[in-house]
Amino acid sequence: MARFAVGARVRARPGDPDGHTRLPRYVRGHQGEIVDDHGSWQLPDEALRGTIRAEPVYAVRFAARDLWGAGSHSVIVDLWESYLEEAAQ
Amino acid sequence: MGGQAGFGPVLAGDEPPFQADWEMRVAALTMALRLREAFTGDEFRDAIERIPPADYLAMSYYERWLRALELLLAEKELLAGHGPATGHGAAAGDGEAAGG
Amino acid sequence: MSGDHGELPVAARVRQLEDQVIAAGLTTDAELDEILAGRYRTGSPANGARLVARAWADAGFRDRLLADGNAAAAELGFGASGGGGYGYRLKAVQNTAQRHNVIVCTLCSCYPTSLLGPSPSWYKSFAYRSRTVREPRAVLAEFGLELPAETEILVWDSSAETRYLVVPARPADSAGLAEDALASLVTRDGMIGTAAF
Repeated sequence: MARFAVGARVRARPGDPDGHTRLPRYVRGHQGEIVDDHGSWQLPDEALRGTIRAEPVYAVRFAARDLWGAGSHSVIVDLWESYLEEAAQ
Repeated sequence: MGGQAGFGPVLAGDEPPFQADWEMRVAALTMALRLREAFTGDEFRDAIERIPPADYLAMSYYERWLRALELLLAEKELLAGHGPATGHGAAAGDGEAAGG
Repeated sequence: MSGDHGELPVAARVRQLEDQVIAAGLTTDAELDEILAGRYRTGSPANGARLVARAWADAGFRDRLLADGNAAAAELGFGASGGGGYGYRLKAVQNTAQRHNVIVCTLCSCYPTSLLGPSPSWYKSFAYRSRTVREPRAVLAEFGLELPAETEILVWDSSAETRYLVVPARPADSAGLAEDALASLVTRDGMIGTAAF
């Protein structure tokens, strides 16, 4: 079951995990909005440690101003559910 | 890589997917090994990311692929006993067989 | 020594590795020849162009393409898979007068190869991967694409298992063209988002 719905505000987890991840550095710790649900896909971080488990992947839209301090564009990044937490109110 | 500054302009005319014959051969070898399930796409990406950063930045795209293939095949011992440096027992002193 | 890969010229390292992989029984000369001859390479920008042309010609198909890229691609006989035959979710994103989409993969070089063929060298470059998410307007200008200041830019970073296809806005002077003629207008760069169409 998908934990987040389209429109939800989320935060990409901060920090720097050991090993392979597909959470790009430039969005870590930043807030964005779920804009699409891509269905469930195998989580690469765990697969490399021998655990095969699929979980929801979301398209998360970040404002350039939040990421870079400037810019009017948006960046949409596809993130596994484990990479996300609910945004602070 | 995303957002990192200082890489200069995008060479928009830099078109050919493969700029040398060996690059195409690395891509073909990678595809063959993937079809054989010698490693997963995640393992391949991870191997590329484990290249030390200074080397990573100094290498071309397909040099990184080649290094990742060498790394994965060695780690998984898929070539064990088949490398030119380790076979050929009695012929090891033969210059041609040793292959430099 | 032959075990010291770093000292061999790169082409020789590739030949040595091919020999070792073949000796280990993991592939054959014949299989590598077939791959190099393109037997497994079904991807081409002509495939993506057919999807875009159909979307331009047929609003119903356009809506289906935007709603479910894989199903719409399948209608025209195209699968959605990467180089090793592994599946991806296809998501088409549409350019409009107000909005421009551009595709990048900052982590590696993810790309819808079945619909666009092998990616151009610049797509895999550090410059494109690093800068497109940060200053897309400047990057697009380097491709000769100057967008109006009021155009909203969406940059899609293909960081998971979805691959993106940009559906460019239909050129204004293309009224009345048949689908084949429309397809011939569509470029690979238009479907990445670094050209207008």
